[in-house]
Amino acid sequence: MQEVALILSYIVIAYMLFSSLSYLGLFALAYGKVKKENKLDKRESTEDFLRNQSTYPVSILVPAYNEEVGVVSTVRSLLALEYPEKEIIVIDDGSKDSTSLRMIEEFKMKKIPFAVRTHIETAEVEAIYQSSIFPYIRLIKKANGGKADALNAGVNLSSFPYFCAIDGDSILENDGLLKCMKPIIESDGQIIVTGGSVRIANGSTISRSKVEIVGLPKSPIVLMQIVEYFRAFLIGRLALSHLNILLIVSGAFGVFNKERVIQAGGYNKNTVGEDMELVVRLHRLLREEKSKQRIEYIPDPVCWTEAPESLEVLRSQRIRWQRGLLETLWNHRKMMLNPKYGSIGLFSMPYFLFVELLGAVFEFIGYFIIFGGFFFSLVDPQVAGVMFLVTVFYGSLISALAVLLEELTLHKYPKVSHLMRLYFWALTEAFWYRPLMVLWRVRGIIATFQKKAHWGDMKRKGIST
Amino acid sequence: MNLSHFWILIASLFLGQLLLLLILAWRKQRSNKREAAINGQYDALTDSFSSYMMDPSDERFIEELKASPYHLVVLERLLNHYVSVTKGGADSPAVSRLSEEFLSKRYMKLLKRGNWAMRMNTLYFIEDFRMESLVPQLKEKLAKSSRLDQETQQLIRTLASLNETVAIEALAKYPDAPARLYIDVFKRLDELTKLDELNAALNEENNNQTLKHSAVSYIGMAGMTLFLPRVEEELQNPEMEMRIQALKAILHLQYMNSPSALAPFFESTAWPERMFAAQIAGKLQLSRYKEMLSELLGDPVWWVRYSSAEALTQFSEGDIVLTHLAESHPDRYARDMANQWKTSLLGSEQ
Repeated sequence: MQEVALILSYIVIAYMLFSSLSYLGLFALAYGKVKKENKLDKRESTEDFLRNQSTYPVSILVPAYNEEVGVVSTVRSLLALEYPEKEIIVIDDGSKDSTSLRMIEEFKMKKIPFAVRTHIETAEVEAIYQSSIFPYIRLIKKANGGKADALNAGVNLSSFPYFCAIDGDSILENDGLLKCMKPIIESDGQIIVTGGSVRIANGSTISRSKVEIVGLPKSPIVLMQIVEYFRAFLIGRLALSHLNILLIVSGAFGVFNKERVIQAGGYNKNTVGEDMELVVRLHRLLREEKSKQRIEYIPDPVCWTEAPESLEVLRSQRIRWQRGLLETLWNHRKMMLNPKYGSIGLFSMPYFLFVELLGAVFEFIGYFIIFGGFFFSLVDPQVAGVMFLVTVFYGSLISALAVLLEELTLHKYPKVSHLMRLYFWALTEAFWYRPLMVLWRVRGIIATFQKKAHWGDMKRKGIST
Repeated sequence: MNLSHFWILIASLFLGQLLLLLILAWRKQRSNKREAAINGQYDALTDSFSSYMMDPSDERFIEELKASPYHLVVLERLLNHYVSVTKGGADSPAVSRLSEEFLSKRYMKLLKRGNWAMRMNTLYFIEDFRMESLVPQLKEKLAKSSRLDQETQQLIRTLASLNETVAIEALAKYPDAPARLYIDVFKRLDELTKLDELNAALNEENNNQTLKHSAVSYIGMAGMTLFLPRVEEELQNPEMEMRIQALKAILHLQYMNSPSALAPFFESTAWPERMFAAQIAGKLQLSRYKEMLSELLGDPVWWVRYSSAEALTQFSEGDIVLTHLAESHPDRYARDMANQWKTSLLGSEQ
């Protein structure tokens, strides 16, 4: 038994060191690009597109399920977006609350007949409404079919060649859409998807659907999620995007070429990770066509979202994310280590399998060995001690480094006290937050084999004040 | 490696991070202070700047500006704000004078030695402030560039804003240069130069099809009816892309000298031609094509059906026609579309 535990210990230690180094390697790859664009005057670089007729019009899709608290402020923030031509489509996916009613009242919406093109089959569309104040705001009221189904219904109704998918509880910065469309326009359509950064709004002052003062929340659970987002977006996605092997564009905010999405078959209704699944399927389509089109992550456009403040909601969210990851990797297992899919098959898919998915399992074993080693002589305490240090390195020091790297490159949090608080909370990660995440992620793997798809059960307080 | 080695490794990584944290905190504090000072000076100078822009003989602003420790950044921000909020601000002689006097030396240096972001910002500001004295440096830089990257693209736009036709010649060096860049150049040239360049493009003097497509497209966007006969000639062009650009331009211009030239497009095998023909018939209210539009309502392509129904709403009795078609058109999809449009939907933000 002890021998097995010892071998496992070595495997886990080697794994954690390898993963940590891979994070650092990925960041080193992305650092140059972030640093290069850091001092660019963002306003100057986008203002030309505001008046330009070659700026493609965009349909903004807002899938909503029980979002009565946040849906109106989200749409108001979208109205304020600086963009030459847009339409906003809210899709109420059979909400049990007053999501539709809030929209109908606020924007004086009327029921209209509409000849919808059914590119993708969806659950029954019950009615389509249009605002009499802003005719380019529409509402689809449909039977419940899940987030993917809601987005597909939005794709069917949309009139423009690009669509932006944004969560019903999020607020997009005024120039966020323009910044996301800029690379698409500049590449003359060679970039088919762009994903922007998602940031946590809890703690910031938001008024009239706009983030006025960037701040930090008091709740340690939310603070840790901010650190986690830095780690995921800054260390992971930037480098993967740089190599054109990015497999995730956050469901909270992404811009897509509609024709390509329809060709790929739309969002998959049979997974809870519909955002990642679609991106993998698009990559698959591109590789099979030997196309040079790209999928990119843009660090600067920011979408603010409300993070869960209770452990219960966070748990359910993380289980869902892990499930989505596993389902996507399983659905596209054909691509794994398959040279036909180039760097996606040979690098990105194995990376997501071993680092993002199985990382939780390795870490779980690691915590088990530390506990067993110190209290039950499962392994030599010396080995348990090394495991503990490596866990601190992997869990805390890498996260703390992500905070420093954010400050080094984007520095979005304005005060020195923000930096200090984030850094010191990041150091505590390995001792309480990470074990919880590991536990829930392992639970997510198990849940994949048990449950049906459903919307997340987020309890909204609303982020606008 | 034993436990103590790991301890040393982790401790040194932690100490390294602490050091980096302290450096970053110090840097943040310093940059926050600097930003606060710049904002303070910006606010303090706003009044005298406004007076100077109205009456350049009021030298108070120049004196106050020279006394400011961050005078270059403050002036850059003041001018930038002025040109973005004032109509015709970029052409103001005061903007040119101030920028040439205070910023040209700094920009000359930045163009040569600054990092990529700084060089890009400099190009944007030279364009915004119309700094003609930097044209030789810009031309020299353009001559050295061998790739149509973001910097070269902005360099071309900046030169065009200074009315330099070398921008078009430079673009012609790149066979893959997109039409949107040519359009960006046309937009920036002054009226006389623009007319000459559009004429040259339409006459195919440069034997450059992208340039010609862009010229026709720009004529439509800018509503230059002067070129309408030339655009109408292009409806006979054997190349489909050229014909589509001409149809688009006519749609924007909202006028046709010979509407009969539109007839063949309703039966084109290319759906974009049918779609634009329908849109033009609606926009120009060409009632002779009403029957054709009713037929196209049953077109196999959604966009053609959509445009035909939208076109019918433009006619005075469009509602009646659509109500009739919503009930009696033999095609189910045509009936759906007529049903949708009879309520005169706008469809999108304009």
